[in-house]
Amino acid sequence: MERPIAYDKLAREDRWVRMRAREVAELKIAQGFPPFADLSSPDSIRERVHGILVGEIQAMEGAGRTVCDFPDAPWEFTMDMARQVWDESRHVEIYLRLLEHLGGYPGEFPETTILWRCACAEDAAARVAGVNRGLEGLACDVFNQLVHIARKIGDPILERAVEFVLADEITHVRMGSKWLTKLTEGDPDRRRKAIDFQENIDERFNLGGVRRDGDHEAVSISIATDVRRMAGFTEEEIERLVKTTQRSQVY
Amino acid sequence: MAHPLAGHFSVDHSARLMRNYRYAVERTLRALGGWIALTPELSAKLLMGRHVWDLAQLADAFGARLPELRAHAQVSEPANERVVAFMDAVEEPEAPGQTVERLVGVYRVLKPHLLASYHDHLIRANPVYEPPTRRLLLRCLGDERRHIAAGTTILGHLCATPALAERALAWQRRLEGLFAAAGGVTGEGLPPAPVDTAQAPIETSDDAREFVRLEKPLASWPMPEDLRAALEAFGGSLAVPNVGALARWLAPGVSLDPAREVLTAAALTSHRLVAFARLGHQRLVKWRLAGPDAAVTVLARWAPGPDGWRVAMLDVGRIEALRPALPRR
Ligand SMILES: [Fe+2]
Ligand SMILES: [Fe+2]
Repeated sequence: MERPIAYDKLAREDRWVRMRAREVAELKIAQGFPPFADLSSPDSIRERVHGILVGEIQAMEGAGRTVCDFPDAPWEFTMDMARQVWDESRHVEIYLRLLEHLGGYPGEFPETTILWRCACAEDAAARVAGVNRGLEGLACDVFNQLVHIARKIGDPILERAVEFVLADEITHVRMGSKWLTKLTEGDPDRRRKAIDFQENIDERFNLGGVRRDGDHEAVSISIATDVRRMAGFTEEEIERLVKTTQRSQVY
Repeated sequence: MAHPLAGHFSVDHSARLMRNYRYAVERTLRALGGWIALTPELSAKLLMGRHVWDLAQLADAFGARLPELRAHAQVSEPANERVVAFMDAVEEPEAPGQTVERLVGVYRVLKPHLLASYHDHLIRANPVYEPPTRRLLLRCLGDERRHIAAGTTILGHLCATPALAERALAWQRRLEGLFAAAGGVTGEGLPPAPVDTAQAPIETSDDAREFVRLEKPLASWPMPEDLRAALEAFGGSLAVPNVGALARWLAPGVSLDPAREVLTAAALTSHRLVAFARLGHQRLVKWRLAGPDAAVTVLARWAPGPDGWRVAMLDVGRIEALRPALPRR
């Protein structure tokens, strides 16, 4: 089996339209829309949920590749990643149903693959740092806010389902922290590189100031400081993230 | 009647069987994990995603049983080189068009055999001093039955044409030949399918049927009537291709030249709208054009304007040769 696979091998049914994230953002801005769906209308909530669905598919694919690509990693690592594949596959099902609940359909919005690209790092430590701490950290922010918005608009279906997904994501972040430490034990250089990779991803997913510290209703993506603390991010890391969001570039 | 303490397996033999099972299960779970990204169909992705974790737990349980049998924990071992060759063959189909082969190898060849092997082991393991092994095998039997039923449902959904069903059968026969030559996962031969599963109706898994339902595309996409009419006219002109009719829909500055070259290079006789996505007020529309031996994908971004809907961007993919993705062996 080819290990690891090239970015462009990601297989999709015809009904999906794949586009570069930058192009999607530019075309939306040109039409007077925010680059990233805010949660101000039913349409934008559905678009956000569609974006999350695509992210969950890629998270399932990424975790699956990690199970496949590192047969020589510790067995416990494979176990954690296999568990994550299962969780992500249930998240895909949950978001497919939520999309149905919101009147949408798979393929309703273009798919971007920046998430998947992050899941293609060649080193296992970089992959867990980038995916489990960087991207799943982002998922914590997004889901925490979605739970809040669902509660506010009175959608208990959305609220309850996403709350359970959020609980899983917190577990995935913890796994990431555990394996970042274990895989790089006695190898500070490898650890540094993995953390750099994660910080790079954090920066990219600040989405040019879209993610910020602030009230759920005031900012497009609010940093879930409490949830992040629960997931094992240190105060220093949270502070650093908040700071970088104040000076981040458009992706 | 045999003495209740009569036994078929030695401790060492039992440990070797655990390592043999673990080898097949570990390789399968890694293959399923790796295939999710390489498989286009959502129903098959979900099936694989569900089973990776089940199999990891089984591999873990085999591995944890090993030290109880005076062996090293969490070790996998193929029974012989031919088992390795068989697993290599199972892993071989990686192309997007080979989902059927991927599922056949795991759900029609390997898993039914594992089910039979576990069952054969279970009925021969001593009930007085091998309950830990027997309990483990019972759990495996339950999981494998569930997996086979789910895999059968998805394969039934994917083998939509007689040609596909035939391809699936050809691949199954090939792998079965390799597996028989290896003597199965333990190298000790292929035990018969357990009677209870052969006679009982296969338990249908609601989950797998849900995967199929969730995969079903919409019957028709919601869109304004004027856009629907425009897409029908444009789509109809694509396969012909009628360059003059196509040009009428282009926004100023959009050229048909790159598309013209591709569309006229192959005989394309049919067109099908396959994707319809929103991008702000604009719409992304994808067609699949196909002829007897080639296909091509056309993506257009449609924007509303004072003169109605117009194509603001046109992208024509590479021509794909249409031939069945047959396995190499
Ligand atoms: Fe997830
Ligand atoms: Fe996750």
